[in-house]
Amino acid sequence: MLDSLKLCMHITQRNWMVYKKDLIANISPTVADPALVLVSLGLGLGAFITNVEGMTYMQFLAPGLTVATALFTSFFESSYGFYVRMTFENVYKAMLTTPIGVGEVVMGEMIWVGLKGAVMAVGVAIVLALFGLMTNPWLIPALASVGFLVALPCGAMGLISSAMVNNMNQFQSVYSFLIAPLYFLSGIFFPISQMAKPVRIVAEFFPLIHGVRLAQALFWQRGIGEAFLYSGSILVIQSVVLCTIAYIKIRKKLID
Amino acid sequence: MIIAKSLKKSFGDFTAINGIDLEVKKGECFGLLGPNGAGKSTFINMTYGTVKRSGGELSVFGYDPDKNSREIKYRLGVVTQDNALDESLTVLENMQIYCAFIGVQKSERKKRIDDLLEYMNLAHKRDALIQTLSGGMKRRLVFVRALLGRPELLILDEPTTGLDPAVRHLLWGKVKELHQQGTTIVLTTHYMHEAEVLCDRLVIMNQGHVASEGSPQKMIEDNAPGYVGIFNTNDSAKIKSITENNHSYHLHEDISGLYLRTKSLKDLTAFHSDHGLQPLQIRPSNLEDVFLKLTGKELSIDA
Repeated sequence: MLDSLKLCMHITQRNWMVYKKDLIANISPTVADPALVLVSLGLGLGAFITNVEGMTYMQFLAPGLTVATALFTSFFESSYGFYVRMTFENVYKAMLTTPIGVGEVVMGEMIWVGLKGAVMAVGVAIVLALFGLMTNPWLIPALASVGFLVALPCGAMGLISSAMVNNMNQFQSVYSFLIAPLYFLSGIFFPISQMAKPVRIVAEFFPLIHGVRLAQALFWQRGIGEAFLYSGSILVIQSVVLCTIAYIKIRKKLID
Repeated sequence: MIIAKSLKKSFGDFTAINGIDLEVKKGECFGLLGPNGAGKSTFINMTYGTVKRSGGELSVFGYDPDKNSREIKYRLGVVTQDNALDESLTVLENMQIYCAFIGVQKSERKKRIDDLLEYMNLAHKRDALIQTLSGGMKRRLVFVRALLGRPELLILDEPTTGLDPAVRHLLWGKVKELHQQGTTIVLTTHYMHEAEVLCDRLVIMNQGHVASEGSPQKMIEDNAPGYVGIFNTNDSAKIKSITENNHSYHLHEDISGLYLRTKSLKDLTAFHSDHGLQPLQIRPSNLEDVFLKLTGKELSIDA
């Protein structure tokens, strides 16, 4: 067990070694995208929206952006990133000749995207706090757990799609029909109560909305304990279920 | 070290390995030969559990690879068919991360990596990015990677495919040395000469079966003893008419020439002086002739 965990960490370490080689290029989208949304929607569109649930639009938008960052960083890492490592670079083929097994590969990748999600969420939160959009900046460290908990199930969805696509191009469908809808329909840009009931019900089954609730609780200091108890538990359950499916799917890909 | 009994593997409708029995003994260099698709790599992948068997038995170091692959993998090193190196990392970084994977103590890593890089004449490339290395250097580095764990069993899956003769001979020298130091080696190859130079014992596989087994010499004696004259294909019709219905002559024709094998050198020289046919080359029969005989046309397509 300890042996296995050590091996997982080595995979995480390997990804970090590769990632830091091209740090600026790798970090750019995760920092630039939320900044762009904040400026264009927050300042631009926000000028026309004076009151959302008793806040300015910027204040409403802020928490969701940390969660969106965790979604994108984890999904792209475990879809395009993982797929390239698996198919073109044969990284896992070589790894599997060492004591590493498929379980460690999946766990190692998950720890990696989880940590990335945590760091990115905190990074974005710091910027937002500097804009004065967080009532209590001391809660920023708690956003690491939100980033981690969102990145796990979203990363697992990326791994599952990596196992299912026949070529890289097909990730575009996954993006259009799964990731983009999650991004736009999980309560980041407007209160989810605005949507029709079927959309609200479906959204509950996906991780993002629960992450958004957690982040909003922390940013607005509203019902934090309750949010962690309810949304936090759902994210843990979704992580376990999706990671298990990812393991089964990836195993089929790597072991004949 | 490796024992396979009636080992089978199918992928859907395709049977890659159809009931093979073989044993690799401690300390020997064992060769697996066969055309592409003969089941060599499938077998190799089964020994460390990345391909699960469909039937029969397989044990490596006494463990079942489908259940205890980790125990096996701590004790073997693999030169994979694809290099599968991390292109964006340096030589040193690649080897360091591998040391971590296989559990080499941190304090020992540097020395072990430096020693092996030296051994494979790669010390000067220690800090180079993989993408800047030549094909031969990458291959040598894959050897370094396979040796980092000081494996008892070294698996070489087509180790010299696509390399120039200089690198190939260098690698052969290293394999011989490792073999002399007591490492058990399993090698797959298309190159008959490579198998003849390196292997104590080998099997020729064809369409998922073991077609022949033994030492290279025994295999030649069993399947294709004697001498081979290679003639210009222009003489093909004439030679065919002479040798027709005579079972002491063995013929094989392809684009490179007409191969006539006889039991002795005397028979062969008698043949060409009697009929006034000048061979392009005369040589003792070798594994290639065995291969041609056992696998039929496959080799000519393959080669």
